[in-house]
Amino acid sequence: MLRTSIAQGPAPTVYLAGEMDLDCADTLREAVNDAARGAQMVTLDFAGVEFIDSSGTGIFVRLALDLKSQGTPLVARNLSPAVRGVFDMLRVRELVGDEVFPD
Amino acid sequence: MTTAYEQSPAPASLQVYRYRAGADRVEAVIGTLEPGLPQEDLVAHAGEALERATFMCYAVSQPDDFVADELCFVPQGDRCDILSIRTNGWERHHGDHRRSLVEILNNLAAAVACGKLRILDTTEVTYVVAEGREMFGYEIKSTADLQRARESVDDVLQQAGIDDINRQRTILCISEAVTNMLLHGGGHGSMAVRRLGDRIRFVVADEGPGLSFLNWIEPPAKGGQASMGYGYKIILDYLDAVALHTRPGGTTLVLDRLTH
Repeated sequence: MLRTSIAQGPAPTVYLAGEMDLDCADTLREAVNDAARGAQMVTLDFAGVEFIDSSGTGIFVRLALDLKSQGTPLVARNLSPAVRGVFDMLRVRELVGDEVFPD
Repeated sequence: MTTAYEQSPAPASLQVYRYRAGADRVEAVIGTLEPGLPQEDLVAHAGEALERATFMCYAVSQPDDFVADELCFVPQGDRCDILSIRTNGWERHHGDHRRSLVEILNNLAAAVACGKLRILDTTEVTYVVAEGREMFGYEIKSTADLQRARESVDDVLQQAGIDDINRQRTILCISEAVTNMLLHGGGHGSMAVRRLGDRIRFVVADEGPGLSFLNWIEPPAKGGQASMGYGYKIILDYLDAVALHTRPGGTTLVLDRLTH
């Protein structure tokens, strides 16, 4: 299960905690869309993500591309080694662009 | 020509045939023998691959220019598995996509050749899913069962003393296999965990429509190439051994993690 909380502002941060799989699509999309309303950019903080699989990754990639096309860049921070490993394997950086991972 | 395109059942499909040394024909293990592939040619090539103990690939163009078969012959002792993709219609005219389909076929064939992936026929699968002792099993009905599946597998792996990296990788693979079943296997099925002498075996089974090759690949991303379905790439990379049986009445995926 994925839990989210939002620090509002012109550049809001969405804090993610728990597990990102097929089950997290609605929760994640809702939180990010909420945060993105009127925002200049959105930060996703992965510090609390304990698990991610290819479905969770796919949902993140789609969200990042959607926001980019709407002119609201998305940035991902605090990836654990496990999340980073899955993203590397699935070549997420190539799909969404280097600018999504400023760290 | 438009008709040929419209009649194409799917842009690409995967078949696996099997030849046993000395037989006079090949049999279909996944899918059915494509019309236009002559038995005698398949038997001759399979015999040659076995004799030379070498992996061989061929492309066969059908008289209808819209259809081509790519074939990989993988010798395995006294039998030869033949992995085949028939590409229909538009793939022929999209070179990159077709090349990437062939690359996926080669990757699968390589996994079979090195013993990582076993294609199971109807008889073999009943034996493989009954080996060892069942520790537990349950039904998978919805995405909420993903977490439960991962947690139960985590317990088993910890008790078996699997190191952290392999434990995380195995849990990821279970998540991928169960997700594939929910998305492509009719939406529900079962998972069983079995203990064998040197390994833990996870059997993920459904009664869905059977794996279509279209479920094995991702559509080409914008400007990119098609790739093997993420889930399957992870499963083949991260587990010690994988076995697969699929037909229109269901799919069984057998995932092994060695414990020594």
